[in-house]
Amino acid sequence: MAEMAATQESAASEEGRYLYCIAEAGERVSLGPVGIEGREVHTIPYEDICAVVHDGPPEPYESDDHEVIKAWVLAHQRAVEAAWARLGTVLPLGFGTVIKGESGGGSERNLAHWLTQEHGRLKHRLDKVRGKAEYGVQVFWDLGVVAHGLAQTSPEIRKMEEDIRTKSKGVAYMYRQRLENLVKGAVETRADECFKDFFRRISQHADEVKVEKTKKPEHPLQMIMNLSCLVHGNRYEELGVELDKIAQMEGFSVRFTGPWPPYSFASDA
Amino acid sequence: MEPIGKSHGALVDLLDRVLDKGLVIQADLIISVAGVPLIGVNLRAALAGIETMREYGMMREWDESIRAEGGMRPVPPGSPRLDEAAKAVGLAERA
Repeated sequence: MAEMAATQESAASEEGRYLYCIAEAGERVSLGPVGIEGREVHTIPYEDICAVVHDGPPEPYESDDHEVIKAWVLAHQRAVEAAWARLGTVLPLGFGTVIKGESGGGSERNLAHWLTQEHGRLKHRLDKVRGKAEYGVQVFWDLGVVAHGLAQTSPEIRKMEEDIRTKSKGVAYMYRQRLENLVKGAVETRADECFKDFFRRISQHADEVKVEKTKKPEHPLQMIMNLSCLVHGNRYEELGVELDKIAQMEGFSVRFTGPWPPYSFASDA
Repeated sequence: MEPIGKSHGALVDLLDRVLDKGLVIQADLIISVAGVPLIGVNLRAALAGIETMREYGMMREWDESIRAEGGMRPVPPGSPRLDEAAKAVGLAERA
């Protein structure tokens, strides 16, 4: 009797399904203890696709300890990578999605029902990412170098610099304000041109490109472009060649990261 | 240029994706994880501090080596006003 109660309790505490990714595989397989805190990761199939999950408590992962969270997030990524390597095409989820059981059915049944409903949409998305990986491309420039280059090629700016050198202090101050505006305008125009040009060139080597928000790095370089690129097979090599050309421009540098599972291309929108 | 992975200084790039991106599941199926986005931000801030320092160090080295090779000329010291103007321009944020 006590044994039975214990079994029921343990079943209830494992009622949640933590979801790592959707994969293109129709069989029920175990990926071994590669999940968060060493939990066993397995698939829940529906037709030719499956959800990759671990069984755990129906509670969100929460902690105030950065080290603990970091370990969870990295374990999430490792499990997605294990599924990616073993099962082929995956649609990864971000960290922290736990499927619950309802009074009518368990979490596994909810998940199977969801897979049934979403099959067409998921399949379509899996088709889009098959054989491809995600790469991050961030383009930086050194504002001082770029502004100087612009000034050298702009007769208007050169003349104003010359004027500032020769005019009286009061007039020079006014001119300096105008010079600032001139340079600012030229820099903005240049940033626009670069964005369009780089975007076009990078897009030629990627199947899909998403524009991400730029971030403020804590060093003198400014990020002028932040992209996620979905790239087929070895085409990252030609993308690398294109990025070399950008990085060779005076004052520019490029950060090229990956390959990542297609986190940015898992949803249609 | 070869892409860099998480073991070579791109951990933040990966975390950005694991914390912010991915397939979204309809809300009535999932156990609410209201605390997670906030945790994500804090965690990223904590990690970004370390990572950015390292990245800055790496980029400095890279920058200096490029300049030493003569592949990239430093800004000539002759145009201080222009440098001031460039500073005044500030960060051109692109949404």
